[in-house]
Amino acid sequence: MVAFGVIASVIGIAIGLAIDWFPVQGSTQGEKIDTFWDVLIICSVPFFVLVVTVVLFAVRDFRMRPGQENLDGPPIHGNTKLEVVWTAVPAMLLVGLCTYAYIVLDDIEKAPAKGPERVVKVTGEQFTWTFEYNEGGKKFKTAQLYVPNGESVKFDVGSKDVIHDFWVPAWRMKIDAVPGITTTYRITPKRLGNYPVVCAELCGLGHAFMRQTAHVLDKAAFDRWVQQQVQRTAGGGAAAGGAAGGGGQSASADAKALFTTGNSAGATACGGCHTLAEAGTTGAVGPNLDQVLKGKDEAFIRESIVDPKAEIAKGFPDAMPTNYGDALSGPELDALVKYLAEVSK
Amino acid sequence: MEAAAISASHVHDDHHHGPPPANRSSRVEPALLGMLLFIISEIMVFGAFFTAYFFIRVVADEGTWFPVDGKDLPKLIAGVNTAILISSSFTLHWAENALKLGNRRAFRAGMVATFLLGATFLFVQINEYVHIGFSPQDHAYGTVFYGLTGLHGAHVTIGLVLLGMVTIRAFRGHFSAEEHRGVEVPGIYWHFVDVMWIVVYTTVYIL
Amino acid sequence: MSVKLRNPGWYRAGLYVVLAAVLAFGLSWAVRAAYGHDTYAHFLDAESIVIIGMIALPLAFLVGIGCFDYWFYWASGRPTRPEDHSGHGAHSWRDYFRPNTDHKVIGIQYTVTSFFFLFVGGLMAMLMRAELAQPGRQFVDASTFNGLFSVHASVLIFLFIIPVFAGLANFVLPLMIGAPDMGSFASGWTAYAPLSTTAPDGQVFFTIGVQFAGASSIATALNFLVTIITMRAPGMSFFRMPLLAWANFSTSLLVVIATPFIAASQFFVLLDWALGFNFFNAAKGGDVLMYQHVFWFYSHPAVYIMMLPGFGIISEVLAVKARKPIFGYRMMAFSLLAIVVLGFTVWAHHMFVSGMQAWIRIPMMVTTAIIAVPTGIKIFSWLATLWRGVLHLDTPMLFALGFLTMFTLGGISGVMLAMVPLDIHVSDTYFIVAHIHYVLFGGSLFTIFAGVYYWFPKMTGRMYDERLGRIHFWSTLIFFNATFAPMHLIGVQGMPRRVADYADQFAGWNLAISLASFALGLSTLVFAYNMIASWRGGARASANPWRALTLEWQVSSPPPVFNFDQVPTVVGGPYEYGVPGAVHGIFGPAKPAEVKATPAGTHAEPVRE
Ligand code: HEA
Ligand code: HEA
Ligand code: HEC
Ligand code: CUA
Ligand SMILES: [Cu+2]
Repeated sequence: MVAFGVIASVIGIAIGLAIDWFPVQGSTQGEKIDTFWDVLIICSVPFFVLVVTVVLFAVRDFRMRPGQENLDGPPIHGNTKLEVVWTAVPAMLLVGLCTYAYIVLDDIEKAPAKGPERVVKVTGEQFTWTFEYNEGGKKFKTAQLYVPNGESVKFDVGSKDVIHDFWVPAWRMKIDAVPGITTTYRITPKRLGNYPVVCAELCGLGHAFMRQTAHVLDKAAFDRWVQQQVQRTAGGGAAAGGAAGGGGQSASADAKALFTTGNSAGATACGGCHTLAEAGTTGAVGPNLDQVLKGKDEAFIRESIVDPKAEIAKGFPDAMPTNYGDALSGPELDALVKYLAEVSK
Repeated sequence: MEAAAISASHVHDDHHHGPPPANRSSRVEPALLGMLLFIISEIMVFGAFFTAYFFIRVVADEGTWFPVDGKDLPKLIAGVNTAILISSSFTLHWAENALKLGNRRAFRAGMVATFLLGATFLFVQINEYVHIGFSPQDHAYGTVFYGLTGLHGAHVTIGLVLLGMVTIRAFRGHFSAEEHRGVEVPGIYWHFVDVMWIVVYTTVYIL
Repeated sequence: MSVKLRNPGWYRAGLYVVLAAVLAFGLSWAVRAAYGHDTYAHFLDAESIVIIGMIALPLAFLVGIGCFDYWFYWASGRPTRPEDHSGHGAHSWRDYFRPNTDHKVIGIQYTVTSFFFLFVGGLMAMLMRAELAQPGRQFVDASTFNGLFSVHASVLIFLFIIPVFAGLANFVLPLMIGAPDMGSFASGWTAYAPLSTTAPDGQVFFTIGVQFAGASSIATALNFLVTIITMRAPGMSFFRMPLLAWANFSTSLLVVIATPFIAASQFFVLLDWALGFNFFNAAKGGDVLMYQHVFWFYSHPAVYIMMLPGFGIISEVLAVKARKPIFGYRMMAFSLLAIVVLGFTVWAHHMFVSGMQAWIRIPMMVTTAIIAVPTGIKIFSWLATLWRGVLHLDTPMLFALGFLTMFTLGGISGVMLAMVPLDIHVSDTYFIVAHIHYVLFGGSLFTIFAGVYYWFPKMTGRMYDERLGRIHFWSTLIFFNATFAPMHLIGVQGMPRRVADYADQFAGWNLAISLASFALGLSTLVFAYNMIASWRGGARASANPWRALTLEWQVSSPPPVFNFDQVPTVVGGPYEYGVPGAVHGIFGPAKPAEVKATPAGTHAEPVRE
């Protein structure tokens, strides 16, 4: 039985380590957590195997055979040595694991040894994230998260309404966004690419759709992006940027981009929630705009965007953000309304 | 609690078909034990309200407390009220003792006094609510203040109903030096309500 | 008619409900008028009347049906009406639909009703799985989905697991300890604020419902405690009690101490929601995290409320079916108490990512991990009980063995969750959903199945169909794992819980999970069929088909209306299998001498190897 148990444990551990459990590892914090997971697998598989093995062997060796219907087992009431062992061994193992966990925790939450750290303010609201930067004294807000590779960044997380949870699975870290307080964590990205930002705390009807993207750029690309944002913001206050910069040549292209990706001033992508064939979006939190906007005039569309609570579309939750009036500049709003009125005719 | 009654009733009428009397495996009366356990659970209810109170007073706002918006808690009046409530515990105890000694007049007088003291406390408390100048909707301090004192007030009300019943029964000639469970069990509850008030008063008004 | 209206029963209940409605409405109308609020111009959407109604009407119903009559008589000093024992026992199935005072009938009523809720809750799970079978929207929209899993969890926790344990215990416990009757002391399920304080009306049903469920479970627990402490049979010392009695004792302690917290937390939500209080309103100085602390201070102990009675059941089944005494009886009892105590020190492990003070995570991690030690003692002692026994591998035993392995897996994933650095990543993902179902389905529900099969002959007087029982076990074991094991993987890979839609990368696994879950649902139908068919037409059960020693098996199946003609006398431990001539209790008049002496020869020197 012991041999069986040992072999089964080894196989179990091997399978446990071979399975590709985690999403891509995008931060230095992730490295430590993934290693920690491996240790947990190695420590816990043997206990499970132990229990299963004893049950299987007991069933094989001690099951009642014909003729034993009225037999009883030996009246063994206990064994102090054995009981001490199975109390002490798990206890020691657990204390060891807790110590290791504490070291890992300390590691992943430590501030970087040198240099000032970038702080990004993350604000959740039903059902969108907004990111606020302060780059060399220049402040701006965006709807998508951009961070440079290899530099530690600290997130100050807050919420405007209910509890959300700021999670980027590739970075492994998450924390609740709680109204009234600021919570934080930090990561050091170590892999370029785009990763989903997920809201992990039930926050209402749009919870499943509260998704954005984190872009990890190399340092140069990040600096260029910051330049752009600073210019946009300088163009005319937080909201006015987009249309002023673009010069309004191709209003419909701009409006479509707005619809599918939102703007940097905190307007979430409409397409996250709405289906619109022309823009190729398939969201389902809100009404299908191809259908409901047929024959509607621009005034209705404008009101629906600026003041979505004025009239709640039948069969849908009151879930549309109410900040578009502020987050869209005048020209942006005009372009969007015009675009929607045209494509839904 | 019924168990005791079942066994008692069977002692009285043996011909009645029913279960055998239960074995009494503890010297504690079931009624008393039930009340004590119930009080544990009541303490936990207050515990939850105190948790809320401490979170809002200490954790959320780093220890600020009344006066808020220039409105303070009426420490003095509430202090006098505390004395009123505590004295009701003594009158109740006195009444119980009198009953055990067979002095029915003193028992009745004690019950009436207890009831009136309790009612006075409740009246003063309601009066305090009317004149205090803030509402639970104004701020979280108001919420926990009304929460704790209100929870206690509800317990006083329940206690008064129980005491009221005991008092009425006292005048109807119920209870005797031997048979006084019906006074003792509500009595324990009332003492609990009083002790709880001391805790509430000290933390909410004084600290 | 007027007699019917005065005596407890359905008619009086109806009358009182109407009266209460009038009174509640009148009262709130008067108060509003006094304060100068508008007096219900549109009274149907006045919130306060809904709330007052929901509190007053059920109470009035209970009073009307006679739940408190005993108390009113007692308090007013009128002769408590000599209990009319015609209310005892059930002679036809109709009697199970009447208010009854027999603990056995109550037990069966509880159990059957609870199983109804298993099917309700399970059906909701089926709808969820149907929706989750593919990404995108299939059948239900986001709001329905959120409602589904919230109600799924609440129904299964508050209306199935907790009451079904209470039901089984109600039936068995008084018999087991030799008492003639019970003492007759006569948004998401987590509903986080502020989401719940701003939610629409449905929330309030949850909130008030929990209060009622809470109050009634406190009453039941007080009842158990009083019964266990004051009504044990002569000779039944604490260390001669069957472990089921110990388990219910520990559980009841948990209920009495912890349940007030959830009542309070829901009360806070109610006050915020309906009356504009500021418990959780950060803008006015309220504290959002406080809700979670108060909620989990109850709800972590609650998970043990859902597990400890199951531990008790397994001890009964394993000892009988392995034909051996429970290994390490005293440690079994003490580890229950250790779990109760530790259970109150770990609540914040549900809040590792909630943004509470960071330092709290460390002590909570340690206490949480340490709970694995007393639980491990139980698991290992059960394994040792099996060893060298004579294992009868029938349905109750199969479920008991299934429990041992599946619960261990769920417990181990729990220990992983206790480790803060890992929990930061997997919290609020399907890894949690996997843990939940391994401990609640593989743990609690398996023990419930074991217990129902085990006591079925005693409860109904008939045998269940063994072949169907085995089919039920094997299909459940297989499809249970097929449903919930992959959830560990998709959880770690990043699929959050409580979502109606998910990224395409998880589509394959989710389809597999959904298909397996439908098969799991079908396997539950086998169980339902077996129970109904066997109850109606199963073979007659003898008094003690399992050759068990505990007292409930020493009376006929089903037990006589008053359990015992005479209270039995307990002379030995409950699990002395293999000890030559051992008896646990003897019936007939107790001679004082017999109570004290350890009967020679019935009690071989306990072997402690
Ligand atoms: C019956 C119910 C039940 C039981 C018994 C348990 C038991 C345990 N649970 Fe679980 N838990 C839930 C029901 C339950 N849980 C539910 C419903 C939730 C989700 C709530 C929600 O958010 O909706 C939850 C969530 C939950 C979390 C929060 C995760 C999160 O939200 O981020 C954590 C974290 O620590 C946790 C830990 C544990 C631990 C350590 C145990 C331990 O008690 C387990 C101990 C048992 C063993 C360990 C197995 C046997 C032991 C051995 C064989 C000895 C050797 C073992 C080792 C050395 C590892 N549980
Ligand atoms: C005792 C507790 C218990 C039990 C028994 C179950 C049983 C099941 N649970 Fe549940 N579950 C919880 C407690 C429980 N669950 C809790 C506490 C949560 C957390 C909720 C939250 O996040 O707030 C949860 C959440 C939860 C989720 C996650 C939801 C989400 O986060 O989005 C899922 C998803 O798959 C799920 C599935 C299932 C399934 C498939 C079963 C199956 O085992 C059910 C099997 C039983 C039946 C199916 C009934 C009998 C059969 C019929 C009526 C016949 C009809 C059958 C067919 C149509 C085939 N559960
Ligand atoms: C978080 C999800 C979400 C986002 C983002 C969102 N909406 Fe909506 N929208 C909804 C929901 C839900 C409704 C239905 C409820 C209502 O009418 O307010 C809705 C309603 C509408 C309506 C009215 C439809 C009708 O028939 O009444 C219009 C028009 C609309 N949205 C346009 C937009 C535009 C344009 C954007 C982007 C600038 C946008 N929405 C962003 C969720 C969203
Ligand atoms: Cu925001 Cu979920
Ligand atoms: Cu817990």
